[in-house]
Amino acid sequence: MQILKHKTNIDFIGKRKPALFISTLINLAIIVGIAAVGFNFGVDFAGGTVVELKYNTPTTAEQVREKAQAGGLHDVSVQGVGAAEENSFLLRMGGVTQLTEENAERAKTAIQGLGETRNVYADMANGIVNFRSTQPMSAEAVKKAVEGAGIGVQEVRDLGANQGGTGYDYQVVASGMADKVFAALGAGLEKPNFEQRRVDYVGPQVGKQLRNRGIMALLYSMVAILIYVAFRFDFKFGPGALLAMVHDVIMVAGYYLVSRREFNLTSIAALLTIVGYSVNDTIVIYDRIREDMVKYKGKPLPEIINIAVNDTLGRTILTSGVTALSLIGLLIFGVGEIFDFAMAMLVGILVGTYSSVYIASPLVIWLDERAHAREAHHGSKQEPKAA
Amino acid sequence: MDRGWWWKFGLIVAVTLGTIWFLVPTYYSLVVLDRAERNNIAVLEQRLPRWAPPAKYRLNLGLDLQGGIHMVMRVDTKTALQKRTERRGQQIATYVNDKKLGEVTADTDPERLQLTLTAKDPATMDAIQKEVLATFTDFSLESRNGATLVLKPDEGQVNRFRDEAVDQAMLVIRRRIDKWGVAEVDVRKLGTDSIQISLPGRSNPEQAKELVGTTAQLEFRMVDDTNPQVFAQMFQQNPPPPESKITLVEDEGFPQLSSPNREALLAYAKDKTPEGRDVVTECVANPVKKNDCIAYRSYLLDKNVPLTGESLSGADASVSQMNEPEVNIAFDPAGAREFEKLTEAAVGRRMAIVLDDNVHTAPRINEKIGGGRARITMGRAGARSFEEWLGEAQTLALVLKAGALPAPVTVGEIRQVGATLGDELIKKGSLAALVGLALVVVFMAIYYRKSGLIADVALILNGLLILAGLAFFNATLTLPGIAGFVLTLGIAVDANVLINERIREELSHGKSARAAVDQGYDRAFWTIFDAHVTTLIAGFILFFTGTGPVRGFATTLIVGLLASLFTSIVVTRVITTYFVHGRNAQSVSV
Repeated sequence: MQILKHKTNIDFIGKRKPALFISTLINLAIIVGIAAVGFNFGVDFAGGTVVELKYNTPTTAEQVREKAQAGGLHDVSVQGVGAAEENSFLLRMGGVTQLTEENAERAKTAIQGLGETRNVYADMANGIVNFRSTQPMSAEAVKKAVEGAGIGVQEVRDLGANQGGTGYDYQVVASGMADKVFAALGAGLEKPNFEQRRVDYVGPQVGKQLRNRGIMALLYSMVAILIYVAFRFDFKFGPGALLAMVHDVIMVAGYYLVSRREFNLTSIAALLTIVGYSVNDTIVIYDRIREDMVKYKGKPLPEIINIAVNDTLGRTILTSGVTALSLIGLLIFGVGEIFDFAMAMLVGILVGTYSSVYIASPLVIWLDERAHAREAHHGSKQEPKAA
Repeated sequence: MDRGWWWKFGLIVAVTLGTIWFLVPTYYSLVVLDRAERNNIAVLEQRLPRWAPPAKYRLNLGLDLQGGIHMVMRVDTKTALQKRTERRGQQIATYVNDKKLGEVTADTDPERLQLTLTAKDPATMDAIQKEVLATFTDFSLESRNGATLVLKPDEGQVNRFRDEAVDQAMLVIRRRIDKWGVAEVDVRKLGTDSIQISLPGRSNPEQAKELVGTTAQLEFRMVDDTNPQVFAQMFQQNPPPPESKITLVEDEGFPQLSSPNREALLAYAKDKTPEGRDVVTECVANPVKKNDCIAYRSYLLDKNVPLTGESLSGADASVSQMNEPEVNIAFDPAGAREFEKLTEAAVGRRMAIVLDDNVHTAPRINEKIGGGRARITMGRAGARSFEEWLGEAQTLALVLKAGALPAPVTVGEIRQVGATLGDELIKKGSLAALVGLALVVVFMAIYYRKSGLIADVALILNGLLILAGLAFFNATLTLPGIAGFVLTLGIAVDANVLINERIREELSHGKSARAAVDQGYDRAFWTIFDAHVTTLIAGFILFFTGTGPVRGFATTLIVGLLASLFTSIVVTRVITTYFVHGRNAQSVSV
């Protein structure tokens, strides 16, 4: 069996200018979109709490939302997971702990009501209220007072007397958001009619760290691959491979931008895999170009590239097709992140194939032309190179 | 068939058999054992056939697949540093007053971690400044303004403190989780101030948060040695049930109960404990695996707690003039008085150092200790080496400091997956992987006929190799890992497509079957190699910068690419060579 019965002779290189133009346009649009609209950052990067629940009775997202709002949770987004009969929902909220600006004020008032206190300040990021009291206090009493103000308390820490014994330091640690969710949704029921399937908390600082590390990983791998390509091939091949990689990464980022799918750690993994796959594809064609440059000495480079791309076209289509085939299972049965991962990979495979033909290869010509032009410029003083 | 071919064929057979053999523990842990026993390495070890590889070489399922809690705790090093600076300031003030250099008060700026000393009499400041800077070398002068002296802690000291605070928090967390009895926990440092904890099979994040988030409690409690035979009598009069695995052991002449099951030990001793006493356990550390208890031993302690970590002002490990590792501890003035009283009344008795309900050591009090400074000598007796004793001393110092100068920890990140969701994800994930694999296998067989079938054999071997490789490296299979698995299979097929297309091309140039196969493989080799290496680079960077599930993905990708290099280049070639050269075929089915 064969996909391409006859040897093709498509003039890819001749169409490189419109292709480059369109690609650049789309890429710029995506970059502008990212800057203007931004990704739908998941809890990994944005910080916050995500809770997945499965009800054992038929329930709608609307009912869950109403119940949450009745329990005082106003900024919760509720989204169904999987088929409707699964009764599974994803609840998303901004905070990690129950300590909000408003709550912190109430906690302060409650603490100040206990006795003479100084330095009452809330550490919002960690969900902690710090204070110093002139008298030793019982942790139980502090806990009761703060809980009385409507804030779940996980622990009251007795940090002991400060130096000189002029005061006693305490920390009130607020409970997590998930606790409040379960309390709100289970309110009025003897036993909750749902099962908690997943809880993710990511603190804002950790979120920022995770995001930075993800971006650094992308940059590092691109640079490392660029070095490898420049070393294994010729310098003029390097930039083409790099640009094709950047192109593919932006295109896949575009998928996340347009689909509004959650951008999280798995998305970074998808982008990185695309980097690997993209350069994989590019290298196969580069290899052939290099081989043909030896085989057809004297022919102009654009023609050689056209031959190389046409010769490898069958395998290019096949490989992309087979890799896409292996993703079909994930696309059908994959849930949540895995579906997104497979979808992003599919987009990546398609644009990766396109970019190795229309972006990576033309750039080699361009760099070659520039090198020749420079040579011609300095050429008058130098010995002409033997052809 | 030449000699080289037979060698390669032998290698492939060996690798295949080795791969299958290596997957035996994984098969037992995932298929044969009950889900509850999945992480119990001891049970697995028992059930495994004698010829199987050790139980530790099995593929772990990630928390996202089996359910459990993954947490990242951030150690609040700032509060710890602030507290330490305050204590140090107090020490300096006491020192100045004791030396009769003058009278100063110390005040700490929590924001900038600076220490301000204010002298009552400005005239004494010169002498104070000179003496303090010469004695407390971990501080340097920031500024001086008349009667006030602003000191700041040395940069190196601050960093050391910070590291120590994280180590202390880790120690406390490990001990607590140990007590909770969770198998296969993983506690490790993440970055400079975070600790990553994995608790497979646990489902209550709030409970876990409470467990690892509370501040450590250090207590000094007297061991009840009035009746050293108490445990021996208990054991003889009321033999414990065999399933509790309680045995009677002797340590330095004191009989103790010992059991690998802490709960069972405490339950057994509970109603037999004399009035006013508590049974508290000590962890017997696993000599091979760090931070793991192989057994728990009983101590009978007075209920009354005369002294807590709050009275402690410092602890350090050092080596004495007799070349014996020791721990020096210092108490604050009130603690020193209490300690003197305590030791005077208890010469000859043992005093247990208890952190979070876990006895760390119980040194004998040799004499009344005044002045607020005590020394715990580790000795050099027993089978342990000097290094081991020194390590013991360092751990004890860390324990004392963890109780005295606790660093609060806060939750950075918690991810919890319920067990039923985990099971569902395994089912869906493996189904997805199998469907992908089946589609590819069928396609290759149709498209390339016999060569396609050869590629399929390689592909399946590749899949097994990935699983065995992950088991060998003790890696964890995560949900993204399954995606990585599928992707790697895709890349492996790509290699075979490259080779087969090359062979077709060579055939169309009119080459003989043999020549076409040889040329096809030779020419495709470097292309395949480059393509794999570049993806490997991405994989390694992902591995070193990623955490959790992403790391699982990277591991699968790396193992998969290495396996793919082997199967697509070596395995298929050996089989193809057999059909083409060995059978002396005139055509090649591609």
